Amino acid sequence: MKTEYLAPYLRSCRSTKEIMRDVVISLLPALGGAVYFFGLRALTLTLFSAAVCVLSEYGWQKITKRQITAWDLSAAATGMLLAFNMPVTTPFWVLFAADLFAIVVVKQMFGGIGNNFVNPALMGRLFVMTVWSGEIMQYVIPKSDGVSSATVLSAAKQQTQSSYTYLQMFLGDIPGAIGETSKLLILIGFLYLCWKGIVNAKAALVYIASVSVLTFVFGREGLFTGDFLGNLLGGGLILGGCYMITDYAFVSQKGKLLFALAAGVITAWIRIFSVYPEGICFGILTANCLAGILSMTENDRVYGTAEKHRIIKMKDGGQRSEQ
Amino acid sequence: MRGGIHPTSGEDKEVTKEKPIRNFVPDEVKMEGNFFVKKGESVKKGEKIGTDFWKIPLHASITGTVREVDETWCMITGKKEDIDKEKKSFPYQEKLIQEISESAEEIIGKIKEAGIVGMGGAGFPTYFKYETKKEITYLLINAAECEPFLTCDERLMIENGYAVLNGILALKKAADAKKAILCIEDNKREAAQFLQELLNPGQELQKENGKKENQDDREIQILLLPTRYPQGGERQLIQTVLKKEVPIGGLPADVGVIVSNVATAKAAADAVFADQPLTERIVTVTGAVEDPGNYLVPIGTPIEMLLELSGGVCEKENKIILGGPMTGKCVAENWNGETLPTVKKTTSGVIAMLFQKEKETPCIRCGACIRACPAGLAPFQIDIAYLDEDEKLCEMLYASECIACGCCSYVCPAKRELTHRIVKAREIVRQKRKERSEKK
Repeated sequence: MKTEYLAPYLRSCRSTKEIMRDVVISLLPALGGAVYFFGLRALTLTLFSAAVCVLSEYGWQKITKRQITAWDLSAAATGMLLAFNMPVTTPFWVLFAADLFAIVVVKQMFGGIGNNFVNPALMGRLFVMTVWSGEIMQYVIPKSDGVSSATVLSAAKQQTQSSYTYLQMFLGDIPGAIGETSKLLILIGFLYLCWKGIVNAKAALVYIASVSVLTFVFGREGLFTGDFLGNLLGGGLILGGCYMITDYAFVSQKGKLLFALAAGVITAWIRIFSVYPEGICFGILTANCLAGILSMTENDRVYGTAEKHRIIKMKDGGQRSEQ
Repeated sequence: MRGGIHPTSGEDKEVTKEKPIRNFVPDEVKMEGNFFVKKGESVKKGEKIGTDFWKIPLHASITGTVREVDETWCMITGKKEDIDKEKKSFPYQEKLIQEISESAEEIIGKIKEAGIVGMGGAGFPTYFKYETKKEITYLLINAAECEPFLTCDERLMIENGYAVLNGILALKKAADAKKAILCIEDNKREAAQFLQELLNPGQELQKENGKKENQDDREIQILLLPTRYPQGGERQLIQTVLKKEVPIGGLPADVGVIVSNVATAKAAADAVFADQPLTERIVTVTGAVEDPGNYLVPIGTPIEMLLELSGGVCEKENKIILGGPMTGKCVAENWNGETLPTVKKTTSGVIAMLFQKEKETPCIRCGACIRACPAGLAPFQIDIAYLDEDEKLCEMLYASECIACGCCSYVCPAKRELTHRIVKAREIVRQKRKERSEKK
């Protein structure tokens, strides 16, 4: 009797959808915080963004006659993260453009889930930041009915004294993008992901530590004078480290740590030398482009061989299956 | 061992680990191989009737008459009165043999004549391993039984302790090894404890602790290993116990090791000390059956009889698996009494499983397969290379070294059939290498 059932007959219960669902769940505390600090518009923006991402993925897959994977929640996670990176004053149409760019151009045109070489959420943000930079730079003071203000890091960049304490920064009571302000709530979500064994916490630590340490060492007034806690808590570093670095754009386990380190160095570089106060977006995207070379550092040895095995080249094609 | 997984919580083994081995002899057996007996001829249990694929002798597993014989199979109908004969008991089943009178060559000859093959699943002729000219330091007896659900080796050790130990002594002499290590995973602690009492009463069991030397100076040592699949793979076992690796393309003998399954050792004891050929084996029948258990049955026993003996399959939507759930073969879906294959020398289990195939989705590059692979491969990349029909890349990614353990398919959240396709890639690469070496 011919059978289509192939060994092994035991499969783990974890699926792509379950992983992505856990990512979405882990973002909920930060979303709650965003609503508390910035009002209901934060929630509407996030839901809108997630919906646009899922629907544009579905539409693209329908048009190009690919396997429909839009319901696996990966697009929803991208949409939420993208909204989290925007200030609450962002117009809906800008967010819509960012979502479309992230999902269709960055994710699907490169082959869909697993084949995008850069983080779609960050790329979408970069796109609108370049094209409509004025529209997404209006940061507001929390619980203030839209009084705009500079973020902690941009204030620091302009050498003005910020009036926020580190505790306020940790709890999220500062101007900033929707989901990045409350470090406490992001960390709660991240701990959930670590507990579920979904993310590589080491990579997040390497990234966050390298940025904080480098910006401290190369401070504005000489060596070891940087604002360590300000850099750590003032901007989107923790959100970037917890959710963007740990994204599964595959590089090997050790390669992933190098990737985090590279992203950290570039981010710190931007924070120290360039006009941009944050640098997270550029730092991680640049490191994403280095992933191909970093994955060559794979040093798991094949059983019975003396030399180290290298991942030879990245090829797309994870879409196909034999049916 | 590198990588590996814990496919189940261990409860699957609890179901049958306490169930004593039951004897069962069917009225009719169907054996596979090349046979020289004629239709209508009467045969006795243990009589040589043909040879198998490896030219290893095959013996009638029951007494009776040849009902039908074809090029590749032979059916024997038994006589009830002959079947229920009492079994003789031998000293090797009741105490440790102090001095084996046979020489190594004699032992190997008896093993060959008795038709003994690796009973763990490979089915490779046992005598072949022992005929090596290489110097053997270690004989590893594989009782890891890392596959979920199976308990046949565990029951064998508990119920035939002396036969197993004497078999190990015989194999050790045949291999001329300095030391034999019986490797048992710690979910079978009771069995290990029991054998330790027979071998070295009152002494504590050694545990594998990751150190280079966890061995004592005894000739036979029982070693408890942490439970992890696929530790019972030959190469993985060598890595865990001896901290050595078998080089690519090599055999365990190249590093001075022979690995044999514990059931093979028992069969060797039967062959050497009682001149009994291999005609029966223990099979674990489990999963969604009414009354799971362990059965001692003649080779050639129809699987459907074993399932009926176990009270039948409880669910309509079942899959009948021969062997373990990780590496076994699905022989029927939604089985409802149809004819199934028969028990072979390598059939360690019959499992009725209930599951639904899930749809394959795109790889998300989470790297779980790389972490799980005991051979250190990158399964998802080989999968992509195979689907691209890029044989060269498959070879560069060492597809040839896949051990088909199934860990990558098990962990894959995208539910990709990694193992299935990597094994295909492996065969292509091996074929290519063979062709290349033939050209030279």
